Amino acid sequence: MIYLVSRAFVALLFLCTLAGNCLGAVDYDQLFRQSSDLMALGDLDGALTLLRQVPTPAAGEEAGPFVSSRMQAARIHAAQENTDSAIADCQEVLILFPDNSEARNFVAALRDQLKPGWHTVLSDTLRFLPSLAKGALMTLMLVLCTMLVSPLGGLLIALGRISTLRPVSGTCWFIIWFFRGTPLLLQLFFIYYGLPSLGITLPPFTAAVIGLGLNYSAYLGEIIRGAIQSIDHGQMEAAKAIGMSYSQAMRRVIIPQTYKRLMPPIGNEFIALIKDTALVSTIAMVELMRSADQLFNTYFNITALALAAVIYLVLTTIFTFIFEKIEYRAGIYEHR
Amino acid sequence: MSIANQPLLKLENITKRFKELTAVNGVNLEVSPGEKLVIIGPSGSGKSTLLRAINLLEEIEEGTICFEGREVGYVMRSGKRHPDRPQAISALRAEIGMVFQHFHLFPHMTVLGNVMEGPLTVQRKSAEEARSIAVDILEKVGLADKRDVFPATLSGGQKQRVAIARALAMRPKLMLFDEPTSALDPELVGEVFDTIHTLADEGMTMIIVTHHMGFARELADRVIFMESGNFLAQGTPDELFSIAQDNERIRGFLNRLL
Repeated sequence: MIYLVSRAFVALLFLCTLAGNCLGAVDYDQLFRQSSDLMALGDLDGALTLLRQVPTPAAGEEAGPFVSSRMQAARIHAAQENTDSAIADCQEVLILFPDNSEARNFVAALRDQLKPGWHTVLSDTLRFLPSLAKGALMTLMLVLCTMLVSPLGGLLIALGRISTLRPVSGTCWFIIWFFRGTPLLLQLFFIYYGLPSLGITLPPFTAAVIGLGLNYSAYLGEIIRGAIQSIDHGQMEAAKAIGMSYSQAMRRVIIPQTYKRLMPPIGNEFIALIKDTALVSTIAMVELMRSADQLFNTYFNITALALAAVIYLVLTTIFTFIFEKIEYRAGIYEHR
Repeated sequence: MSIANQPLLKLENITKRFKELTAVNGVNLEVSPGEKLVIIGPSGSGKSTLLRAINLLEEIEEGTICFEGREVGYVMRSGKRHPDRPQAISALRAEIGMVFQHFHLFPHMTVLGNVMEGPLTVQRKSAEEARSIAVDILEKVGLADKRDVFPATLSGGQKQRVAIARALAMRPKLMLFDEPTSALDPELVGEVFDTIHTLADEGMTMIIVTHHMGFARELADRVIFMESGNFLAQGTPDELFSIAQDNERIRGFLNRLL
């Protein structure tokens, strides 16, 4: 008797399970596993057939398996380059859940694929340009500040180097030796991350301008010293002979004659500077390089980097033209 | 001694050594106001060095320089010679004009700018005043029409006349000419010579170091023949030429030039 009852219970349980299966309360894990196995074997159509078996959920029912199955189907269709079917899969999800971001992004990406290539590039460009422009503006600010500071620093270092006062020329020699002999990146790290331990905390922009300014002052110092010493010694004698002091002779006679000679090497340094500003992205500055990097990491889209390259080229081109103009103007007295 | 007889420039025992070489060897010289002195001699005889020592462009080891009766250029401090303060040296140079063999015009300034520069920067005159001084002097050297061009466009003779004008703009009491025609093409020597001649006729005191015998013959009150840092002979041009008849070295030098 007991045996019969237990038998009947097992049978009932079996029937319930069967009924449950038919009603949709199935454990879909196995189905997904099977479809994955088929995909691994290369039978994409078989996998699709299995996935399509997951029915549309009624209101209030668990919808997770349905969404997963349709999105998986969409990915398979996309892999088969059957974009229309892939979009249709996503639409099934969106009819029930219009806010599903995964389906929406995927539809947007698929629609992009249907457009011609230039259109994609154009829309990416329009999307990225505002934040890249902001970054470029910051790069430009850094470049202009350094261009303002470093020639003055360079002139002081150059005059110090040719000074007959030993402590002055020694100090300037040391500055050049140190800032030309260590990496700019290390100098920036030291100023931004190292100085706080000495109680000096600088905002990123200030730290960046100080770092770039010192480094470029050292380079320009040597360039300016060379230019000053290349001026014919007779110029200094002629200036002294009419009664000028050393500083008057420097200011009125010697230094103005260095401008033309200075422009090509200084132009060179400043072009290098435009690109060296990319290094300050490492000390929490959001400039052009950092903006492009952020966009690239968010959208995994190479267009952001290509655009940054174009902007750098535009900047260097503009400055090259400006420097050539200044060089011509500075040497106008040599034209016959 | 009355002011009139006082020498404008008095050099005593001027000695300049470059390492082993003694360029100027204990030279004594007096130059009266209005005198035109010409120094000739072979290359390396110390003529230019002596001229540059007067303008304190060359630091001397021994001797004294007196300008208008004042000892200038050097001070004694704890028994050692030192160059005077830079301001004092500049002030002396402002009173002595110097013209160089290679002109040394300021290439980045116009002709007018070159001539204005001294009055403007050193004497701190106003721009209008400096300009009117410069315009007058350029008129005098015959280059009024070139005042707005840069020196690069000028001929050598014109450049040297601008250089003379630049020195004159400071209203110097003494003019030093260091081989003013040696870097010029022969056909350009004349215009520079004429300019200096005009200046001499106006009574400017001048010392000219030159290889151009025209200066010695036509212009000099006194000619000095210098060799190896010493004055070998001096006198009026006629005296020097007659001395030359007896002195083989001077005769040889003059024959090479003539």
